[in-house]
Amino acid sequence: MLKMNHLSKVYRTEVVETYALRDFNIDVKEGEFVAVTGPSGSGKTTFLTIAGLLETFSGGEYHLDGIEVSQLNDNARSKIRNEKIGFIFQAFNLIPDLNVYDNIEVPLRYRGMKGAERKQRIMDSLERVGLSSRAKHYPAELSGGQQQRVAIARALAGSPRLLLADEPTGNLDTQMARGVLELIEDIHRDGATIVMVTHDPELAARAQRNVHIIDGQVVDLSEEPRFHSHPEETTQSQR
Amino acid sequence: MQISPILSALRHHKAGTALIAMQIALTLAIVCNTLFIIQQRVAHLSRPSGIDEAHLLRIQNQWVGQHGDYAPLLAADLATLRHVPGVVDAYATNSVPLSGGGWSTGLGLKPSQNGPTAMTAIYFADDHTLPTLGVKLVAGRNFRADEISDMPALSKPTPPFVIITRALASKLYPHGDALGKSVYVAPDKPSTIIGVVRRLQAPWTGNFAASFSDNSTLVPFRLITNGTNFVLRVRTGQMGNVMRTAPKALYAANRMRVIPDDDGVMPFSAIRAKAYASDRGMAILMAVICVMLLAITAAGIVGLTSFWVGQRRKQIGVRRALGATRGDILSYFLTENLLIGMGGVLLGIALAIGLNLWMVTRFEMQHLSLWYVLAGAVALLLLGQGAVFAPALRASRVPPVEATRSV
Repeated sequence: MLKMNHLSKVYRTEVVETYALRDFNIDVKEGEFVAVTGPSGSGKTTFLTIAGLLETFSGGEYHLDGIEVSQLNDNARSKIRNEKIGFIFQAFNLIPDLNVYDNIEVPLRYRGMKGAERKQRIMDSLERVGLSSRAKHYPAELSGGQQQRVAIARALAGSPRLLLADEPTGNLDTQMARGVLELIEDIHRDGATIVMVTHDPELAARAQRNVHIIDGQVVDLSEEPRFHSHPEETTQSQR
Repeated sequence: MQISPILSALRHHKAGTALIAMQIALTLAIVCNTLFIIQQRVAHLSRPSGIDEAHLLRIQNQWVGQHGDYAPLLAADLATLRHVPGVVDAYATNSVPLSGGGWSTGLGLKPSQNGPTAMTAIYFADDHTLPTLGVKLVAGRNFRADEISDMPALSKPTPPFVIITRALASKLYPHGDALGKSVYVAPDKPSTIIGVVRRLQAPWTGNFAASFSDNSTLVPFRLITNGTNFVLRVRTGQMGNVMRTAPKALYAANRMRVIPDDDGVMPFSAIRAKAYASDRGMAILMAVICVMLLAITAAGIVGLTSFWVGQRRKQIGVRRALGATRGDILSYFLTENLLIGMGGVLLGIALAIGLNLWMVTRFEMQHLSLWYVLAGAVALLLLGQGAVFAPALRASRVPPVEATRSV
C-alpha cells in the first residue's frame, strides 16, 4: 500500500542542509495497522506528511497503492489525497466557520459527489462516531473528543484506503483517547490501512507493527506482523 | 458549487462582509449616477453647432476715436477681409454660436401675442452669412444683397424676412410648413420665413438657453455700432496664416481700432473649448472621483481578502489536505467575493435608483437609464473579481502541509 525506498527529505537554507529523512525505507502492506514512534524531531511527522502527499520529498522513491507519486502533478496529488487518504490530526483541524455536517462534507464536495450520496455518507459516518445529533453544531460547541470524532467521521465519509493519524489522541484525556482509538481500530477492522504517528507507547502497542524512527531513519522495522490483543504484551516486546 | 458552505462561513464574518458589500453598494450608486451625469455632459459638449467650425475664425473689432457713421467703415473692413489671402468669405454680425453673448427674443405667430410661441437667438446676417458659416439651407433661399439693411444700435429689429433653423420651424409650425409663413419678431409687424437651415446653435451653452439652444433666427441686418464680430471662412490649412495676416490687414486699412490681444482673433476650435471648459472640467473631475472610488473599493476588497487569506491559512491547508486543488481554493475565494459582490450590487442598484430619483426631484436631472445600472453592476462584479484575484491566487499557493503546522 505504502512503500518508500531510500527516500530523503532535505530542508535547505543558504548555509545549511538538514536531513529530515535520510535513506528512509518502509513498506506498509494493504490492511496493516502500523504505529510510527520516535523522539521529537526524529522525522515522524515529516514521514507522515510525505506519506499523505502533503509535502514533496527530495530523493528516493515512494509508491502509494502502486503509483510512483514523485511524478504526479499537484492536481493528481490532490485527487489521491481526496480519494485514497484520510487524515486525522492532533489538532483536529476542523474548519471553525462550518458546522459538523459541512465539515464532513468538505472532502466529498471536492470529489464531486452528488448531494444525496454526500448526505448518506455524512449521516452514516456521524452515526458511526456517535454524533448524529450534533450535525448542526459548530466545532467550538464540541469537546475535544467530540471534535476528534468529527475529524474521524470526515475521514470515514470518504472511505479512505489509507488512514494517516498524527498523534490522534495527543490533545485528549484518557477516556476520550480510548474512544478515539477504538474508532481507529474499528476502521482498521473494516479493511483500511492505518499509519499512526504517536508518542504514546500504549497507543503504539495497539498497532500490529511498530516502526521506530530516529534521526530520519527507520531503526527497527519488524517484518513479522503482530496482531494486537494485550497492550501489556506489546509494550514489553517493544522494550 | 460550494455556495451554501461559503454563505455559512460568511455568516461568521458578518462585519467584514457587510462592510465590503456596503462599499460596493455605495460605489455602484455613486458611480452609476456620476457616469450618467458625465455622459450627459459629454453629449452636451459634443453637440454639433451646425457651422463648419474647422474653417471658421472670429475677429472682434472695436473702433476708437470714430464717431458717427460706422457703415462705410464696416463695408471697407469686409472688403479688406475678403481679399486677405486664404480667406474664402466673411461677414459681420452681432454674435456667433458658442460665444456666450448675443441676443434672444420671443417669437409669436400672431400680432401682440400674449407670451411667445418659441424663444430664439437672433443673429444679424447678410447674403455672405450662410456660405461663410457653411450652414446648410434645407428649404427656401438665402438673403439677397439688396435685402440687407443697416440697423443702428438700440433700434428694434423689425425684419421683413427671416431665415430660421429647422428646430425652430418645427416648434413654430409643427406640420413642417413654416416656409413662406409669418412670424412675429416684433410685436406688431410680421416677418416672412424665406429659408430654413438644418442647424445653427444659439450663442449660449449653459442653462439659460437649454430649452432653445437649437432655435436661431437670422435677420437681414448689418449692426452699425462701434463694436463688430467678423466671421471669416478660411481655406483648409490657412487658419494660422489668416490669424496673423487678417488683423494686420485691418490695422493697415485703419489703425483707429482695437482687436484684443487675448481673444480678439479666435478660431472656432478655441471658442468651442472656452464655451465648454466648465462642462469638460466637471466631467473630468467626476471621472477622477469615479476612478478614485473604484480604486478605493478595489483596495478594500484586496485588503479584506488578503486579511482573510492570512487568517485562514491553516484552514486553506486543511482544505488542500482533504483534496482541494489549487483551482478549488482559487474558485472558493472568487465565489466568496462574487457572493459578497452580488449582495452589494443588489443593494447598490436600489441605492443608485433611489439617488437618481432624489436628484430628479431636487436638481431636475434626467432619469437614470437602467442600462447604466446594469452595466455598473457588471463592472463592479468584474472589478471585485479582478481585485480578489491576486489574494485568491496567493491563497491557492498555500501548501497542504500547512494543515500540520500549529498556528
